[in-house]
Amino acid sequence: MNLFGVLDINASALTAERERAEVTASNLANAETTSTPGGGPYKKQLVVFETERPGREDFAQTLSRFGDLHARGVTVEKVVDDKSPPVRRYEPGHPDADADGYVSFPNINPAEEMVNLMGAAQAYQLNVSAVQATKAMISETLQILT
Amino acid sequence: MNWLETPNMERLEHYLDLVAFRHELVSSNLANVDTPGYRTQDINFDDEMRRAQQRLDGASVSPHVEEVRGLIERPDGNNVSLDRETMALAQVQLQYRAGVELLRNELHLVLSAINEGK
Repeated sequence: MNLFGVLDINASALTAERERAEVTASNLANAETTSTPGGGPYKKQLVVFETERPGREDFAQTLSRFGDLHARGVTVEKVVDDKSPPVRRYEPGHPDADADGYVSFPNINPAEEMVNLMGAAQAYQLNVSAVQATKAMISETLQILT
Repeated sequence: MNWLETPNMERLEHYLDLVAFRHELVSSNLANVDTPGYRTQDINFDDEMRRAQQRLDGASVSPHVEEVRGLIERPDGNNVSLDRETMALAQVQLQYRAGVELLRNELHLVLSAINEGK
């Protein structure tokens, strides 16, 4: 892998962290959403990160990159629904209330989501710094001949 | 070696290769700062540099990558330390700049010989 390949590693992290921030923002926005197209309250979404797997490539390609296999980017493997049960609050006047007058609200803790958002922002910033470092190294290499 | 290359150029080439390789690992560590189960990777720079110097045929470097020990592990099995990686990033950047600068000096040395020191 050359220095341009290193840019790809950090770019993958930028994409993944942005998606994490998007999902967290969606969770915050829907903290009080009681009805969804699928029925029931909004379910908190969680992103699952995974080290980038080499995509569809044959054995020869994998073998030719053998020395590089340790340095990898990151991808969002999947976005899953949180398993925790909804929070039930007594609001008989609410249109989504059940027969007993209870409304199911999503189990979303705003503080938790904000911490998640801060984590994503910090990781994003960090990878931007790494991209800048790589860019500086590439342009320094170009200076050799001047 | 041909007459355009000085012995130092070869050494600096190994040095820059290794520094770039380490930069790749640091970038990978930073990209996977939130990946569950990811372990911090690094090379032993001194050992690899010594190994590269001993190799006379100028073959490409294939450094030995190892997991870094003694880092605090989070509950998800990830042990990337932001402090360690940002420091490593700064270090690698300066090392690379130093290597490039020295290589430039070597080339200018040859160039000044070509120009008869003028």
